[in-house]
Amino acid sequence: MISIIQTYYKMLLMAMGNTLLLTLLSLIMAMVIGLIFALCNVGHSRFFRMIGTVYVDAIRGVPLIVLAFFIYFGIPQGIKMLGYEFRLTPLQAGIVALAMNCGAYMAEIFRAGIESIDHGQMEAARSLGMSYARAMYRVVLPQAFRVMIPSIINQFIITLKDTSILSVIGFPELTNTGRTITGNTFRSLETWTIVGFMYLVVIILLSKSAKVLERRLKHGRK
Amino acid sequence: MAENKPIIHVEHISKQFGVHTVLRDISLDVMPGEVVVVIGPSGSGKSTFLRCLNQLEKVNSGRIRVNGFEISDPNTDINQARRHIGMVFQHFNLFQNMTVLRNITVTPVDLKIMGKEEADELALRLLNRVGLGDRGNAYPDQLSGGQKQRVAIARALAMAPMVMLFDEPTSALDPEMVNEVLEVMKELSNSGITMVVVTHEMGFAREVADRVIFMDDGIILEQGTAEEVLDHPKSSRTRDFLGKVL
Ligand SMILES: Nc1ncnc2c1ncn2[C@@H]1O[C@H](COP(=O)(O)OP(=O)(O)OP(=O)(O)O)[C@@H](O)[C@H]1O
Ligand SMILES: [Mg+2]
Repeated sequence: MISIIQTYYKMLLMAMGNTLLLTLLSLIMAMVIGLIFALCNVGHSRFFRMIGTVYVDAIRGVPLIVLAFFIYFGIPQGIKMLGYEFRLTPLQAGIVALAMNCGAYMAEIFRAGIESIDHGQMEAARSLGMSYARAMYRVVLPQAFRVMIPSIINQFIITLKDTSILSVIGFPELTNTGRTITGNTFRSLETWTIVGFMYLVVIILLSKSAKVLERRLKHGRK
Repeated sequence: MAENKPIIHVEHISKQFGVHTVLRDISLDVMPGEVVVVIGPSGSGKSTFLRCLNQLEKVNSGRIRVNGFEISDPNTDINQARRHIGMVFQHFNLFQNMTVLRNITVTPVDLKIMGKEEADELALRLLNRVGLGDRGNAYPDQLSGGQKQRVAIARALAMAPMVMLFDEPTSALDPEMVNEVLEVMKELSNSGITMVVVTHEMGFAREVADRVIFMDDGIILEQGTAEEVLDHPKSSRTRDFLGKVL
């Protein structure tokens, strides 16, 4: 075990960094996607509600790995058939796949958060002359966001774990790196123990700091 | 000239929720400065009627004009119209994510009606007027119900409304807090602002109402001075209702 750590610690740390990078970038995109589709879903327009529902249902009905293959292999091939050259790096494809996947779950988290805010808040804002968008942005979303923080962090952790699925398209994140190392050393038990432990530490750190943050937000103001 | 033109003009409005008719062909004119108190049994459509006046509910037919804005016309800029129609809710609906002061200033500042400093000054003046000059930095959940409702009134007043709508402003309050809110409303009624108040506070009605309206099952069954409607009701429905609340 020590020898694996000694030989591969740089690679492992890089891989952990890649995993976090992938998680963070997809999460940021997922929040934007989630907000857009959540706003579709809570709005009054039937058309937008339909778009929101279709997106959420479609994405949640497709396994992440299939989505990743589709984006990484399928889409470039489709575009090539139209006569254009198009390639995605594994990182790009991975971020898009994860963001789309996570975005659908974020949309549900945002929707539930917005719907948990008393409708009277929106009505009061509108009665003063604020537009729907302004009332949303000034009054409803800030309150909804507070409510959503635990779920968002939970989703963060799920997405972090889901990055391991993207080892299949060859991005050198932590799981993929684990495969490389076992390929070189044939020492599966030790390698996967180390990799598992690394995930565990990061995730525990994340959920602990989430708890602290949550407590602070609950008691303190802003 | 403006004196003899109604500030609220309601013409034959009807409102359905699904198959359920809640307002049936209601017409009403309210003059500037008039204080109208609306009473009636639960479910008679009082809230719905009030909410139609600023289009929180849309009427199915008929016409509403308030402050010269055609509320029921889909081409009207409803956000503009609402600026001059204040509303006070049963459950206060203060913005939970803002201080008391910010509750009052956020709309006028956001809508560029005034600058931040001017808005702060105004908010402080209004808070003093409702007896809460020292609570500007508190958050809504640190206030009592009566205090919340007074802040809600101050928040509405910051938009310099011509008309104020109150939907059972004291119904959610503990009994000992009802008066502090009614006092503020009485003071307001002397300021010349037009008020439409849904309430079960008959004492308030007697003291400040220029007109009392009794609604029943989606129509205005009876209206007149407080004395006429409360002391000498013509219809037996009104008598029944008053017998229950008094
Ligand atoms: N959004 C809605 N959807 C469906 N029905 C509604 C809605 N709002 C009100 N109603 C119905 O319309 C009728 C009138 O309601 P409204 O709230 O106007 O009565 P109210 O006179 O204010 O009663 P209360 O004294 O209980 O407040 C009731 O039967 C109510 O159930
Ligand atoms: Mg009501």
